[in-house]
Amino acid sequence: MPDLPELNPVIHGKLRLALLSLLTGVEEAEFTWLRNKTGSTDGNLGAQLARLEEAGYVRVKKKFVNRKPRTLYRMTDAGRQALTEYIQALKQLLGTAIDT
Amino acid sequence: MKDQTTTQDLKDRLTLIETMISEGRRTTESWGWTFVLWGMAFYVAIAWAAWGHSAWAWPITMTAAVVVTVILVSIKTGGEAETTLGRAVGSVWLALGVSMFLLFPSLGIAGKLTDPHLFIAVASGMLGMANAASALILRWKVQFGCAVIWWAAAVAASFVTGNQAAVVFIIAIFICQIAFGVYGMIQEASAKSHRGTAHA
Repeated sequence: MPDLPELNPVIHGKLRLALLSLLTGVEEAEFTWLRNKTGSTDGNLGAQLARLEEAGYVRVKKKFVNRKPRTLYRMTDAGRQALTEYIQALKQLLGTAIDT
Repeated sequence: MKDQTTTQDLKDRLTLIETMISEGRRTTESWGWTFVLWGMAFYVAIAWAAWGHSAWAWPITMTAAVVVTVILVSIKTGGEAETTLGRAVGSVWLALGVSMFLLFPSLGIAGKLTDPHLFIAVASGMLGMANAASALILRWKVQFGCAVIWWAAAVAASFVTGNQAAVVFIIAIFICQIAFGVYGMIQEASAKSHRGTAHA
């Protein structure tokens, strides 16, 4: 029986998984855009993004536009790699589940 | 991990990834209003130049349109995500704007913009090119139709009389700026109303 892959616990959280997936399709996104797309609360979203940033999967940039603060998130290469590996592991696990 | 996670949960996660990737790629930008604004600006400039006989009609109207566009864009921008597609289309229009703002005032100051055929043919040709580039990037057939109309206007303006060229230009502005802009705004409003929140 082949070894089953481990799912990356940082990405496995549903909101973190949704955030990384959203960021694959854009160059960078604002906090409010991510909140609207996920339907999450500010507190929860901020905490999950901080976890992704801590893991090196997203990079944060703060800037002022028309004197209003904007927080922009961008996926890193490490984040892209981690998501790709997570999807491969997920597919492998699902393949095994269908076989058994 | 596998023991704790059911097959259905794994499938749900794959579905969540697919949904979010496609949601992220959907454009959130609204640009239909810019076509209407510039169409109106063209009409104001044409009317002012025709009846006011002022050499300043085009430079003043176009500069005012740039200022209004910049103000409205800065007000509307916010809570968005930047996509490669959006940046590519924006670059096409920015390049067109810079080209037109360099070319036409230069020709005017040099006194070589006396032939209306030349102005209409070149402006229509440039607008055709920008619409075609944008349409090909976005794979938007309706906008490519506008590009064809602008190119047709450019060719027609080269052969018909001055008055006929002006009529062709006015019709092309109505179809490709006003009507297309309103169509774009309706499409954007419709897309926003049909878009549900993807809860994670």
